[in-house]
Amino acid sequence: MSIESILIVGGGLAGFTVAQNLRTRGFTGTIDIIDPAGIPYDRPPLSKAYLLGDKDAAGIELAPASWFSEHRIGLLRATVHALATEPLGVELEDGRKLHADTLVLATGGSARPLPVAGGDLDSVLVLRSRADADTLRGKLAPGIRLAIVGAGLIGAEVASSALALGATVTLIDPVETPLVPAVGPELAHRLHAMHSDAGITVVHGTPAGIKRTGAGHRIELADGRVIECDEVLVGIGIIPNTALARAAGLATDNGVLVDERQRTSNPRIYAVGDMARTRSADGTLLRRGEHWEHAMNTGATAAAAILGQEPPVHGASWFWSDRHGTHVEGVGDMNAEGTTILRLKEGEPVAAFNVAADGRMLGAAAIDGGLMIRAARRIIDRGIVVPPEALADPEVPLKKLAR
Amino acid sequence: MDTETGPGTPVVDLGDEELLEPGSAVLVPAETSGYPEDIALFRTDSGRYYALDDECPHEVASLSEGWLEDGEIECPLHSSRFRLCDGKVLCLPALRDARTHRVDLLAGRVLLHPGTAAGGN
Repeated sequence: MSIESILIVGGGLAGFTVAQNLRTRGFTGTIDIIDPAGIPYDRPPLSKAYLLGDKDAAGIELAPASWFSEHRIGLLRATVHALATEPLGVELEDGRKLHADTLVLATGGSARPLPVAGGDLDSVLVLRSRADADTLRGKLAPGIRLAIVGAGLIGAEVASSALALGATVTLIDPVETPLVPAVGPELAHRLHAMHSDAGITVVHGTPAGIKRTGAGHRIELADGRVIECDEVLVGIGIIPNTALARAAGLATDNGVLVDERQRTSNPRIYAVGDMARTRSADGTLLRRGEHWEHAMNTGATAAAAILGQEPPVHGASWFWSDRHGTHVEGVGDMNAEGTTILRLKEGEPVAAFNVAADGRMLGAAAIDGGLMIRAARRIIDRGIVVPPEALADPEVPLKKLAR
Repeated sequence: MDTETGPGTPVVDLGDEELLEPGSAVLVPAETSGYPEDIALFRTDSGRYYALDDECPHEVASLSEGWLEDGEIECPLHSSRFRLCDGKVLCLPALRDARTHRVDLLAGRVLLHPGTAAGGN
């Protein structure tokens, strides 16, 4: 059966990429994106440029409204209540029913609540959507005491932005040095130290409860310490939004299970982005990817698969983060079994490479070294074996080693 | 092929044809070119010169600091790729092509035609 209509549930980067790639791949049928937030927008700026006010809502749109009409991609501002499988389609909250030949689920994730007493208070802030960012921005002002639980990517970026907006920031994490799995211990240590250097109070501790105190909050730590603050933001990861898929009988396991072409257990329904989890052909469940590029890549794969075309080949996974005027990037796997090789500049580590016993590079991370990461990515993807002493030598351009 | 220079943007002699090593790029600031935007000048591994607007069509990022390979430039910020010969955007997140500027090699000199589209090859 030829496919004439495609419904995409969720307009984040993943859903948007499916639509955009379907058109560049020549699909001429109907495409509709359903999302309560309207025009798809980019999430990374929510903790940075958008929170700081350097970009407005229009500035973070993935494409302007005119682009969607030019490409005949419908945007339906609505919430999906349920999926229907026979005939295939969705039921909206207002009762309307829509049908399509293929469904794509791109419902993303929700901020994970802190699993302690008071973690579910309405006044506890999270940052996932543009509306969350608006709420947070409305609370931030010079002198406001903001406590952030979780010093991963979101927590670290918000801490940096809030500080720039004049807030007094306390950053709490049960892990002494966060981000070790992403960038390795040496760079993680250096990045975490930047918080206290910038004037943030860094607390190594485990929150045991949050209470309201008049206009503010009190965070109690497991060891008895207490942190008084005006606002609390929790940034401890996401929970994939799988409720629609589960109710429709799709296979899920901390994510909607998909094959290597993003197809769910129903061959006419695809899932992409943060909420999709790949089950390899041999049955192995892979770790669910949550980075920005993963959303784009899975969207591109799904578009090809829907049209029966050869899916694109994606390289090692890649992420970035910005805080305190510093740009961090990582590629591949810093956590896999291997040896760490550091590149130092003025005695400080600027890059770390994780190298396997056979000499192949497994992962790399760098501070203010985007071009190095681009080189590392090619070294990883092409299986190039690079002499360890060259990796460690700051005088050797990594680009030369990638050829 | 349009060989005329755009209005008010005379040809700029950037220097000797070996001014860039193959596989490298340099920023030509607006003050140097007389063109309103910064321009990125690229030299491919095969030795050919190309020029694009330096700012990525997606966000504020300098294409002259990107990854140059196989006649394409990859933005250093979000990894959108553009074809040097015609500026064509090859992958997301950018949606628009990059603007090209014609570059000629004449008598061993690199001549930039700011504001004149490249021929596309």
